[in-house]
Amino acid sequence: MSAGVTGSWRRDSELPFQKLDEETIVVDPRRREVHLLNETAARIWELLASPQSVDELTTTLGGEYDVAEAELREAVVELVDGLSSKGLLVSVGGAR
Amino acid sequence: MAAPARSLSLAVAEAALRCQDELIVGAEGANYALMSQVQDKAFTETVPLNVSLELTLNCNIRCLHCYNLDRDLPQGSCHDGGGESDARPDLSFEEVMRLLPELREAGCLFLTLSGGEVLTYPHLYAVLDRARELNFAVQLLTNGTMLQPGVAARLGSYRNLLGVSISLYGATADVHDGITQMPGSWRRTWDGAERLRGAGITVRLKFIVMRPNAPQVAEMRAQAESRGFSYLVDVTITPRHDGTRGSLAMRVGEEQLAELYRGPLRDIVPTGRQPVTEDRFPCNCARGNCAISAKGDVHPCVSVPWAAGNVREQRFGDIWRDSPVFQKIRGLRIADYEACAPCPDKPFCSRNRGAAFNYSGRYTGTDPFVCRSAAITREVVTSTTPPSAARE
Repeated sequence: MSAGVTGSWRRDSELPFQKLDEETIVVDPRRREVHLLNETAARIWELLASPQSVDELTTTLGGEYDVAEAELREAVVELVDGLSSKGLLVSVGGAR
Repeated sequence: MAAPARSLSLAVAEAALRCQDELIVGAEGANYALMSQVQDKAFTETVPLNVSLELTLNCNIRCLHCYNLDRDLPQGSCHDGGGESDARPDLSFEEVMRLLPELREAGCLFLTLSGGEVLTYPHLYAVLDRARELNFAVQLLTNGTMLQPGVAARLGSYRNLLGVSISLYGATADVHDGITQMPGSWRRTWDGAERLRGAGITVRLKFIVMRPNAPQVAEMRAQAESRGFSYLVDVTITPRHDGTRGSLAMRVGEEQLAELYRGPLRDIVPTGRQPVTEDRFPCNCARGNCAISAKGDVHPCVSVPWAAGNVREQRFGDIWRDSPVFQKIRGLRIADYEACAPCPDKPFCSRNRGAAFNYSGRYTGTDPFVCRSAAITREVVTSTTPPSAARE
């Protein structure tokens, strides 16, 4: 599944998680999986408490990271794809 | 910007290990690496990642080995060792509801709900609802006898339910029911385990090995394995938290323990699981783990009823951070364990602080059973006899 550039995503609100220092642990009991998100992924996880599009995430993170927009957008797509492929996100409003 | 750092299969269903005395057998055993890393970080950063919350002391069975209290005595009766704390009421539902966000704020992720029998708690589902809202990974500890079809199905609706641990005390009904003092409990417990599994819930059986069921250990293991359940084995019975010691009559004898370790438990006898280092002796108590009793006392772990504070009187986070009891535990070094420091069996010892505390009254004390268990473990591990031969 690709996050692409359209639609919005939010994190699966029923999944257990907790911040531990700068990282975030996300647990998926049904799949018997645990994921350790690094600082950047954890920030996106935090932002995805409410539905966000790739554009919105890129804009928000643009104010936080000293990275060129194109590079940042590419990284956001990669991260959202990664989280989505692990079943941690829910598509909202036409996300692919 | 980097991708998510790591992703592995979930390793630990036993969210809040009581101590290192549990020998875990099951399909999940191979995937401990990431969880070990997470738990190590909680230990180092002193984050209460694992909290066990005892919702009630009420129970529908009267196990002879119960670590809570002697259930054959009238509750609140004046017996040896019973403390004033017995007279305090359990935490109210409102107090539990107030506590849960405090646990979350302090860093808890793995929340174990226990009793007594947790399914006798009248507000269990409300607590589970709130735990789901707060994104806890929840585990339940139960005797399994109250898991009627509707209960299993309802529990199965909680996607944050990490698993259910069910205690089992025998390979046959007569042995198990003799320990629980509840006819029919063995059958009901097995039925409950199957129902949970049918509802999509991960079940782990917990075998507590005692005098009456020690001869059945091999059969208990075989039953679990043939039915596809993971399980853990615990051989340590402690004095009760109410101070009574009748439970010790259920302990396996030294010879019995040696026979178990040389025979039906030979393949899972610990082989020096815990490195002996200054800051890692003995365990995760008050570092990444703690427990909260039904009365609201905050303990370093489920097995050690040493009150660091009470959540009725202080916020959990303040107790966790500032309690003199927890500060003391965190500051302990090997030399503070006077009998353990020079012991050559340290690498083979479960370092069961619950047994030591309940037996000796001191966190840094010892329990002769644990010491003997370590010696037997050393003998078995260092023996040249192959496991297959030892089982014959």
